[in-house]
Amino acid sequence: MTMATDTADSPLTTPANEGGEVAAPPPRPHWLRRLLRDKAAAAAILLLALICLGAVLAPWLAPYDPALNSRAVMKPPSFMQGGVPEHLLGTDGQGRDILSRLLYGSRLTLLIGLVAVGLGGAVGSFIGLLSAFYARLDPWVMRGIDILLSFPAILLGLALVAVMGQGIVPVIIALAVSSVPDCARIARGIAMGVMKQEFIEAGRAVGLSDVTLFQRYLLRNCISSIMIFLSLRFGQIILIGATLSFLGLGAQPPAAELGMMASQGREYLLFAPHIAVIPSVLIFLIVLTANVAGDALRDVLDPRLQT
Amino acid sequence: MLKTVLDRLALSVPVLLGVLLFGFLLLQLVPGDPAQVMAGPTATPDVVEAIRRDMGLDRPLLVQFWAYLERVAHGDFGRSMISNKAVTEELGAAIGPTVELMLASLLWSVPVGIAMGTLAAMTRGSWIDRGIMAISVAGVSLPIFFVSLLLIQYLGVVLRWFPFIGRPGPWYTAEGFMALFLPALSLGLILIGPVARMTRSSVLEVLSLDHVRTARAKGLSETRVTLAHGLRNALIPVVTLIGLQAGYLLGGAVVTETIFSWPGIGRLAVGAILSSDFTVAQGAVLLFALGFITINLIVDILYSLLDPRVRK
Repeated sequence: MTMATDTADSPLTTPANEGGEVAAPPPRPHWLRRLLRDKAAAAAILLLALICLGAVLAPWLAPYDPALNSRAVMKPPSFMQGGVPEHLLGTDGQGRDILSRLLYGSRLTLLIGLVAVGLGGAVGSFIGLLSAFYARLDPWVMRGIDILLSFPAILLGLALVAVMGQGIVPVIIALAVSSVPDCARIARGIAMGVMKQEFIEAGRAVGLSDVTLFQRYLLRNCISSIMIFLSLRFGQIILIGATLSFLGLGAQPPAAELGMMASQGREYLLFAPHIAVIPSVLIFLIVLTANVAGDALRDVLDPRLQT
Repeated sequence: MLKTVLDRLALSVPVLLGVLLFGFLLLQLVPGDPAQVMAGPTATPDVVEAIRRDMGLDRPLLVQFWAYLERVAHGDFGRSMISNKAVTEELGAAIGPTVELMLASLLWSVPVGIAMGTLAAMTRGSWIDRGIMAISVAGVSLPIFFVSLLLIQYLGVVLRWFPFIGRPGPWYTAEGFMALFLPALSLGLILIGPVARMTRSSVLEVLSLDHVRTARAKGLSETRVTLAHGLRNALIPVVTLIGLQAGYLLGGAVVTETIFSWPGIGRLAVGAILSSDFTVAQGAVLLFALGFITINLIVDILYSLLDPRVRK
């Protein structure tokens, strides 16, 4: 029999053919195909991939040393009036090539985001899964999460920078820690659903150890949903990280970081707005494409996560 | 009703203690010796020692934490390490401007967001809907400092419509009102996207319920159905969302206050950190956390007022 069980109880809507057999529904296209069918999502993924590629290949692509000062100060992009052909996107207040700084800057900005999301996601999901796995832990974990949630990311950043001094490391830690409660909550929610499934009970019944049960039955069934949540989180993390650097709390000169570049451009806003505008636009594009791609990924792979 | 409120209040006690413990540990982790910082670089060792004893820094941590709780309960957050003013005094001067800025941003952005979300839900699938959703995704992706810089550049510098440095007075004075405009505009933009999105999906959900079908069957106009039967019930999750977004709002306030030289808690915190004034920094961070807890408390209570099903 090829009859699908879920169509059996709605005979009115499913066309039955001669033999009483029900036509099988057309197979669902592969998720990647469904993802790319959404034009906005496809464009976002392409653009994000290009930006990431530029960031990875920065040392080979950058026409200049990102910290190299030149005499051509505050030159606008070469396609604008007053621009020079040597500097495609112009130069900043110290005569540094903006394109080169942009490539290196997006490298640092993306790296901060990735490390923070990875760390926070790993710790948070582990806590969330544990809390769903061991019900006794749950109330304690939830209270702890409430406490952490009372510290919004930027405040946590401020607090950690106050203690550790300005720099990339406290910013990464702050971003990671601030993603922990959200990830833990989401992971707990997903895991609670999985824990109710019969195969968990079956695993227990055949005497699997907690470690095996946790790793093979729980983790593997939650991981994809968690990854989708993290991809949605990525954009926000990048945004907050860049903001902390903009405030002077994160990356420090002479490093190039997009938020810091925007902040340095503030002084020249009147005469050379491109110095602040170009890095800000790139941050916007990274966050926008990450958000659009994350949304599309969620819609295709795991619509349950929709909030 | 009273019981709900009390239960909710009791729940925030451990959270509050945790936050205070965090604030206390923060001060412990500060590099360098606070007594040394307080005494200044030229102080003799016995002066430093006296200050240490005076501040109770030689006692065990648990005792110090208890003493810290007692001080906080009396509203004593210590003194600024730089200006030597009481931290409460510095915070007290800054709290008004921050509350003013946040209320002003909520006041324009929440109605606009709700209107956008409702319009999107009513025109579901049309280009209006897609346009509004695109704007809201773009809105959550825009760095707030970028928005602020653009507003300063065009509305402040080029068009000279609004001042963009500092706060000459409270909002009810003419200058104060004008000065509030740009910071509130840029801070409010953070909320538009999330509020519009949440309103849209919430309205759509409510519109598929039975009582809405009854309203339609009664022959009410679609607008009436959406506004009177849909939106009213759809607003409940939006209220919760504002509580969840309070963190972003507070964080955004730090940025806007810094860029617009707005004399609030956020600017105070950033300034204190950049000048290593740990007591003020700690006080400001704690105050922010307290604000966050309070907002969520109010939101939860509002929620049970709006939705009788939660009360029980």
